[in-house]
Amino acid sequence: MVNLLQNGDVCMEELEEEAPMFCINDNEDVLVEILRRLDGRSLGSAACVCKMWCGIARNDALWEHLCFRHVSPPPSGVRPVVVALGGYRRLYMVCLRPVLSRLGRMRVGLGGGESDLVRRVWTRQEVELSLSLFCVDYYERLLGGGGKLTDAPASSLMFLCKTVNV
Amino acid sequence: MGPYDSSVSAGSSSGSSSSCSVKPADPIDGLLAGAGYRVRSSELRQVAQRLERLETVMINAPTEVSHLANDAVHYNPSDLASWVDSLLSELHQPEIAPDPSTFSDLNYIAHAQGGPVLVNPMVGHCELSSGTEIEEDSGIRLVHVLMTCAESVHRGELSLAASFIEELQGLLTSVDGERGIGKVAGYFIDALSRRVFAPQEASLAGSAFENAVLYHHFYEACPYLKFAHFTANQAILEAFDGHDCVHVIDFNLMHGLQWPALIQALALRPGGPPLLRLTGIGPPSPDGHDSLREIGLRLAELARSVNVRFAFRGVAASRLDDVKPWMLQVNPKEVIAVNSIMQLHKLLGSDPSRGSPIDPVLEWIRNLNPKIVMVVEQEANHNQPEFLDRFTEALHYYSTMFDSLEACSAQLEKSLAEMYIQREICNVVCCEGLARVERHEPLDKWRDRLGGAGFTSLHLGSNAFKQASMLLTLFSAEGYCVEENEGCLTLGWHSRPLIAASAWQAMPVLQHPLPLINHHQNVI
Repeated sequence: MVNLLQNGDVCMEELEEEAPMFCINDNEDVLVEILRRLDGRSLGSAACVCKMWCGIARNDALWEHLCFRHVSPPPSGVRPVVVALGGYRRLYMVCLRPVLSRLGRMRVGLGGGESDLVRRVWTRQEVELSLSLFCVDYYERLLGGGGKLTDAPASSLMFLCKTVNV
Repeated sequence: MGPYDSSVSAGSSSGSSSSCSVKPADPIDGLLAGAGYRVRSSELRQVAQRLERLETVMINAPTEVSHLANDAVHYNPSDLASWVDSLLSELHQPEIAPDPSTFSDLNYIAHAQGGPVLVNPMVGHCELSSGTEIEEDSGIRLVHVLMTCAESVHRGELSLAASFIEELQGLLTSVDGERGIGKVAGYFIDALSRRVFAPQEASLAGSAFENAVLYHHFYEACPYLKFAHFTANQAILEAFDGHDCVHVIDFNLMHGLQWPALIQALALRPGGPPLLRLTGIGPPSPDGHDSLREIGLRLAELARSVNVRFAFRGVAASRLDDVKPWMLQVNPKEVIAVNSIMQLHKLLGSDPSRGSPIDPVLEWIRNLNPKIVMVVEQEANHNQPEFLDRFTEALHYYSTMFDSLEACSAQLEKSLAEMYIQREICNVVCCEGLARVERHEPLDKWRDRLGGAGFTSLHLGSNAFKQASMLLTLFSAEGYCVEENEGCLTLGWHSRPLIAASAWQAMPVLQHPLPLINHHQNVI
């Protein structure tokens, strides 16, 4: 490491001096940019790293990006509806991910994990169907909770959680 | 040509499928008749399989059949079907535990146009363990006796029917009552015994609350109702395109499960959501508890969350023909969609004094001038005048439906869905007259009826088809199929359609003839 002393001289310090530490936790915006590019499973894992990561990874904007970044053209005006019905993270976990993995598996055949979902372009109709199912989920939670929203997944979407007998 | 040769001396019985032309009557197979054997064409496959089995038994246990060679046993072989039946029942069959996983109840009940043809299309029949044959044989026998019992009920011979019912209950113990033919037969035997022994309390109608709960579980266990809702919503959405004031009339609100998806789709439509009015018709709730209003409140809450202007009105009526158009309070400026999910068939029963309520109801629907009328009905012919025809048809239909339900893994939903179906079965089998409300008719009949009432068919577009197909792939069972039928969509199990969705529009009402003619008549 080279130090520039006050008198203009240059002095060589020992190389034991540590290099400037780049700590990702100090650079939240970089962290967000990285997390934005992950698939859902990795994002979920990231939320388990530490409290700070958990807070960031649970940011609904990240999940919004995840939900629709491969939809072309991106649906407009959807945000207030999705937010009202439970948020993008819930949309992804409860509807989009199972729907797309089920439909993707049907098309491509077996195999392919979460990363395939990331790269695949989702059709508008798949997104619309997921949104409709998401709305039914919200409504059933309304019904089940007697007016108050519960957090458990409604039974009408349980069929999405079951494995496919392909 | 296989084992047929050894048992039947002549006749190309391999032509059993090609020579048999299925006619409404039960014709005798011509080729075998030429050889002196009278076999009904519809029974050819059954007879052939039994002959195969007879041969297997004879080969495997020659000592048991040796008496046939010694004694003068008089069976008339020209009636081949009963000849082979009597031989088989005489010979002992080994007892081995059944292997029911190789077949479904569909194997027992084929979709023939004639009478109940029992078909077991198992490959490699002779190589299977005889245990499977026991199960299959018991299953076939069960259906056979069931049909005979229904026949005796049809002829009014109730004491004979009662004895058959006892026999059936005994036979039920030898099949697996938890799946396949055992389960379906169990429900039908139950229905028949209600009809024979307790006709007054035969109907299983429960309270409105119970019905709604069972309906909800039926919604969850299998895709039929979801298909109905999503297809209807897609058509209604397209009909509402460009209109700002829309009114949906739901003939059976239940828990309102259909409407959240429509509200959400309207919220997201380009150009913004319209003002949505929903009128929900449902049975009156007892004890002052207004269930219609509660559902309305939930739907309103959802609509408010997604910023859709929404108004709800509940109309309590125990029967659809009690509803009068003024109760719906339609506004002339709004665009109307009428939504009937499995309700119209209930109006087909006719009272000798008043006739069928379907006609006045269709008339007032038409007079509302709706932009779209969505009709979803069971694709079955359960309204035939003869009991035996209805029974046979119902056995086919509900076997298929139970078959599709096998795939549902959620036990609670599945059991309650079965109870829901059981109520329908009981109504079709046990009830008569106005009490019988499950008067399902197939799509073609509805087409004629609605066409005659002044409606034209609207084609459900490719979007509806794609959405339905996508919805189906989400269900884990592989057997569902969506088909397009002249602009209508049907959902079925293994190519048997079980539910049909169609869209209709009121034809413009004809103007009154000009008064000029009257004027001329007055002059004359």
